[in-house]
Amino acid sequence: MAVESNALLRVNNLKKYFPIKAGLFRKTVAQVKAVDDISFYINEGETLGLVGESGCGKSTTGATILQLEKATAGEVIFQGKDVLSFSKKEIRGMRRDMQIIFQDPYASLNPRMTVTEIVGEPLDIHKLVRNKQEKKERVKQLLGSVGLSTEHMHRYPHEFSGGQRQRIGIARALAVEPKLIIADEPVSALDVSIQAQVINLLQELQQEYGLTYLFIAHDLSVVKHISDRVAVMYLGKIVEMTSKVDIYDNPLHPYTQSLLSAIPIPDPTINKERIVLEGDVPSPINPPSGCRFHPRCPHVMEICRGEDPEFKVYGDNHYVACHFLDR
Amino acid sequence: MRILDEREKLLEIRNLKTYFYTEEGVLKAVDGVDLLLHSGETLGLVGESGCGKSVTSMSIMRLLPSPPGKIVDGKILFKGRDLAQLSQKEMRKLRGNDISMIFQEPMTSLNPVFTIGNQISEAILLHKDVTKREARRQSIEMLKKVGIPSPEKRIDDYPHQLSGGMRQRAMIALALSCDPQLLIADEPTTALDVTIQAQILELMNDLKKSYNMSIMLITHDLGVVAETCDTVAVMYAGKIVEYTDAKGLFGNPSHPYTWGLMNSIPRLDQNIEKLHTIAGVVPNPLDFPEGCKYNTRCPIADDKCLQQEAELQEIRKGHKVRCWHYERLEQLKKVH
Ligand SMILES: Nc1ncnc2c1ncn2[C@@H]1O[C@H](COP(=O)(O)OP(=O)(O)OP(=O)(O)O)[C@@H](O)[C@H]1O
Ligand SMILES: Nc1ncnc2c1ncn2[C@@H]1O[C@H](COP(=O)(O)OP(=O)(O)OP(=O)(O)O)[C@@H](O)[C@H]1O
Ligand SMILES: [Mg+2]
Ligand SMILES: [Mg+2]
Repeated sequence: MAVESNALLRVNNLKKYFPIKAGLFRKTVAQVKAVDDISFYINEGETLGLVGESGCGKSTTGATILQLEKATAGEVIFQGKDVLSFSKKEIRGMRRDMQIIFQDPYASLNPRMTVTEIVGEPLDIHKLVRNKQEKKERVKQLLGSVGLSTEHMHRYPHEFSGGQRQRIGIARALAVEPKLIIADEPVSALDVSIQAQVINLLQELQQEYGLTYLFIAHDLSVVKHISDRVAVMYLGKIVEMTSKVDIYDNPLHPYTQSLLSAIPIPDPTINKERIVLEGDVPSPINPPSGCRFHPRCPHVMEICRGEDPEFKVYGDNHYVACHFLDR
Repeated sequence: MRILDEREKLLEIRNLKTYFYTEEGVLKAVDGVDLLLHSGETLGLVGESGCGKSVTSMSIMRLLPSPPGKIVDGKILFKGRDLAQLSQKEMRKLRGNDISMIFQEPMTSLNPVFTIGNQISEAILLHKDVTKREARRQSIEMLKKVGIPSPEKRIDDYPHQLSGGMRQRAMIALALSCDPQLLIADEPTTALDVTIQAQILELMNDLKKSYNMSIMLITHDLGVVAETCDTVAVMYAGKIVEYTDAKGLFGNPSHPYTWGLMNSIPRLDQNIEKLHTIAGVVPNPLDFPEGCKYNTRCPIADDKCLQQEAELQEIRKGHKVRCWHYERLEQLKKVH
């Protein structure tokens, strides 16, 4: 992987396997290779979009970086330090710099806490305020920055719409002044008109606070809009990573090509060529041998069945894992 | 002379009102819907969550939970017959025969304790005078048509043994097994990945052509609409606010809501710095505003809009809009 001088986060050969246990003695009979040897970096102030179909390992990637899940192997270098070797105390400190926003604004907020308590909680945990008054002021300011007003402070999550709840989740993430925010499908559960409000908010906040985002989503249109670079995942692997312009104008991996062609364009006058993939996404429990995409790939060659393609650079910062490009 | 419009009206909905009588009050889920669907066409019904799309389809199918739901007014003319007036017994004859329905979640129509072959054969036996063996043969044929690989083996699978995309296909096979004239598809691909969605949409288009079937496609995805529908109805807060052919809708959106919606979606084929947003949120259906229901969010609303709701009027041939100021929207479009 190319060395990036100002990378805030660098992930090297990260793996996360989940054991599947069965039988009387709960023996491990198989493994879900949810994330299987992925590498990428995110520069300071940049947004990297991570896209891919359901179950390809996007959320697991996010959770493993944050150490909500223990990595099976690999390195997560954040601000120059490998956080996977951190002690519990160091992890807690790290969580100030790395925050997460979840997809489901309903499930991720405690229904029994008021907005002030939800947003104020991380301030207490990290001892960022000295007294109640200071906390109140800070919460007010945080709510203001996500477009909520003081009248909302004493209400409970169920009194808010989906978009408003997502704003509360964003305010809570911002409370500790993080450097990196992992946004796991932050707009997928929202209606289109509300989705646009939240996307714009995330972009404004990035400008204002110089935030770095790992933006996880399955909607490539949304990802392309918000990201500087995009990484495409398939069955536990990153198959392509490049600038958002190149991913759209010059996709090199056959999976990226078919994914792009499958997205319906809201314009009936455009008649585009569609590559319809055969079959379903296979299971990560027994992933196909060689290149994991080979059973569905329109360009499959003999080598693809046996050998896992290397994730290599083809052109300016354009990484692809595909034998077809070397033919 | 009937040269102007020779297409046969298959389904015509006039002023449909479906209300829920809840503890908190009367919820006007569908509040005066007008729709027209011709034979062999796909009509898209789009709108945001809670605007009344599913309640409209449940009203057509007469599958409303009642109480609390009730059709309080309007006509649902299917080949000239008013479905709103039929008895449940008469409706049962129509459902799965002339009209079929598929849902976002296939398990709402597939029974987990029977094999898919069992369920499709059952439906065929119920509607056609054939032997059991013939019904099984036709079921395999149907599964093959919807693109399920090795259907003669898969026919004996239970729904849980199939992947999400295959289950969706099995449900479509079940819905089509009796050659319906109208297929109502309520978010049939929303839960699926895009590559699987592309497969299912292509399948529905092929089947529509080969069966000369009409489809009412309910979705919130404008991309899906653009790629599959002939005509489109945009719904907001229980009413149709715009109705026209797909080209007209995307080329010339004439209701401020439709226009706002189209501009607020990020597009793969365009680069926009900043997304357009629609201010505010959808109004609470228990407490709709007076006048036009979009007046709380509309950039061009004035006093008239606060007091009175516009009719769905034809502003050019085949293009209907419910807005007092659709002409003003043209100016707003120029600014953006
Ligand atoms: N705790 C766990 N135990 C076992 N398997 C798991 C666990 N968490 C995730 N998996 C599996 O790992 C794979 C990747 O899951 P993950 O949630 O990361 O996917 P995703 O890309 O986020 O998908 P989605 O778009 O549906 O959110 C899936 O096959 C999933 O079933
Ligand atoms: N059984 C019910 N009892 C009470 N209210 C109901 C019932 N079913 C639906 N509603 C209400 O009717 C309104 C319209 O609901 P409907 O399901 O038609 O929305 P929709 O347009 O299909 O939305 P979505 O895109 O989320 O599926 C909503 O406000 C909903 O809460
Ligand atoms: Mg996920
Ligand atoms: Mg619905």
